Amino acid sequence: MTNTASLAKHRFDPDASISAKARAALLDTATVTWRDMVRTSRRPEMLAFAVIMGVFFLVLFNYVFGGAIGAGTGVDYIAFVVPGVLVITALQGAQQTGTGLAADLSEGVTDRFRSLPMNQGAVIAGRTVADAARNLAGLVLLALVGIAMGFRFSSFGGAVASIALTLAVGFAFSWLSAAIAAKVRNPEMVGMLSMFWLFPLMLASSAFAPPESMPGWLQGFATHQPISVAANAVRDLSLGLDAGRDVLYALAWVIGMLAVFIPLSSRLYRRAA
Amino acid sequence: MSRLYVLDITPNILDIMSNQGHETDSAIRPTDPPAVIEAVGLHKSFGDKMAVRDLSFTVGAGRVVGLLGPNGAGKTTTIKMLTTLLPIDGGVARVAGFDVSSNPTAVRTVIGLAGQAAAVDEMLTARENLKLFGRLYKMRKTDLQARISDLVERFRLADFADRPVSTLSGGERRRVDVVAALVADPLALFLDEPTTGLDPRSRNEMWEAIESLAASGTAILLTTQYLEEADRLADEIVMIDEGAVVAEGTPRQLKQQLKRDVLEIHFESDHDLVEALTIVGDIPRMTSTSETREIHIPIDEGAGPALDTLRLLGDSGLTIADFQFRRPTLDDVFLSLTNPNA
Repeated sequence: MTNTASLAKHRFDPDASISAKARAALLDTATVTWRDMVRTSRRPEMLAFAVIMGVFFLVLFNYVFGGAIGAGTGVDYIAFVVPGVLVITALQGAQQTGTGLAADLSEGVTDRFRSLPMNQGAVIAGRTVADAARNLAGLVLLALVGIAMGFRFSSFGGAVASIALTLAVGFAFSWLSAAIAAKVRNPEMVGMLSMFWLFPLMLASSAFAPPESMPGWLQGFATHQPISVAANAVRDLSLGLDAGRDVLYALAWVIGMLAVFIPLSSRLYRRAA
Repeated sequence: MSRLYVLDITPNILDIMSNQGHETDSAIRPTDPPAVIEAVGLHKSFGDKMAVRDLSFTVGAGRVVGLLGPNGAGKTTTIKMLTTLLPIDGGVARVAGFDVSSNPTAVRTVIGLAGQAAAVDEMLTARENLKLFGRLYKMRKTDLQARISDLVERFRLADFADRPVSTLSGGERRRVDVVAALVADPLALFLDEPTTGLDPRSRNEMWEAIESLAASGTAILLTTQYLEEADRLADEIVMIDEGAVVAEGTPRQLKQQLKRDVLEIHFESDHDLVEALTIVGDIPRMTSTSETREIHIPIDEGAGPALDTLRLLGDSGLTIADFQFRRPTLDDVFLSLTNPNA
């Protein structure tokens, strides 16, 4: 007994400080991020799919509906729709956080994670960071397609700020998506449930059309829901308009969602034994 | 991580090893190794179903204890409790002196687990999996690299170490899974049915690997459905059924208790089976199975009485489809242990 206890002593420090624990949690998050990025690199079709969906939306809305919708937007429709599609693409990337996490939870590797001396929250945190990295690649590619279709960022700084804000919104929704996955766990079910938040947020928004054109009962939601707010803010940033108020509003959504869904998803993940 | 990641057989451990062979039956050995895994009166219920009840055992350093039982006996539940995956309802479990319930984080630093479902990332290669888990154990980069090369060589993973696990055969995958449990050189290793579904060759390789791990001082708790596997690997067997211990001891002790060959007689029709049961009357520990239309007669004192029974049945005009003598199986053990007439 004393023998094994002394053998084991160097492996576990019961007096580890808070900062040592935080450092360990960051290390774990970095490790899981690396793992999820390796997985993404083995499945490039996931990234390709996200970009193709974005291009599909750009083409559909710009060339098919653009003529009809564009009249009400007050700007060239391509300038209106590219920021919207960027935000939608980040939202769809966030949806994949949930399906990926649910797949993890239904596989044996989760049992291994649970038996390791790691911060269990890192399993979700690492995935959201890796998905943000994948989103970044998708957004850059999509922005290039938008430019090819005639879209112009007002400045390089505006482009960077637009993509950074879009990423932040996607990151916040990744945590919402993760919370659903940690609760439901079944990948098919998570995929189906995501339709219930994805489509209303995507379509009843200012991403493709100005909410002013919508019926009164929908306008309140369509004006203030996070995707609309984000689309407006990204539009301001990319077009070099006065962005302050919209950006703050969007950041408030991001911070509020993170404050709710980070603790919630971690708690649900721990509970789902 | 100051413990060396090389095979380190100290003279002391060799002494223990030579004393714990299957020939020694005495429960108390002159040099009992320090207890690494201790379970005292473990309980677990799911709803009103008792999955594990009053289960106690100890696994010393360098020892292998086999937890043997049929499906649903509570083997996996026991492993999950000891490895912090399931809360313990009653009793005490300690690993390397750390209490599993009150100090799970400490326990996780000293254990390795290979569960029934391959617990590795299928999209990563074997090497990447080892790197992933080693980093989560906070091993130093250089230590980890050395450890991975050592493990890949020692467990002969080199041929497939750089292919995604999803492309490997069942045996290769199982090996990666067990090796993944070894990355941080655990003091206690938990193997949940490590050879289920393996072909005979892979099974043998797994057995050799487990033996070499025990020889290097790891305490191993192994669950299995195979008596043969427990016989080969385990220093001690804890046989459980419906969550409770039904027998325990060294393989030799158990085999002495169970050393009975069986005469199996298989009938053509249900009618003949019923007839046969009335003809042979009450033979101790005889069992019958109506689905397969078989009766099993234990052979205790030579084959004579069994042959007499066979002759009696043959003369009675019943149609015997076939018969055979066979060594006891785990089923016989359980039937004899759970049959109140035994």
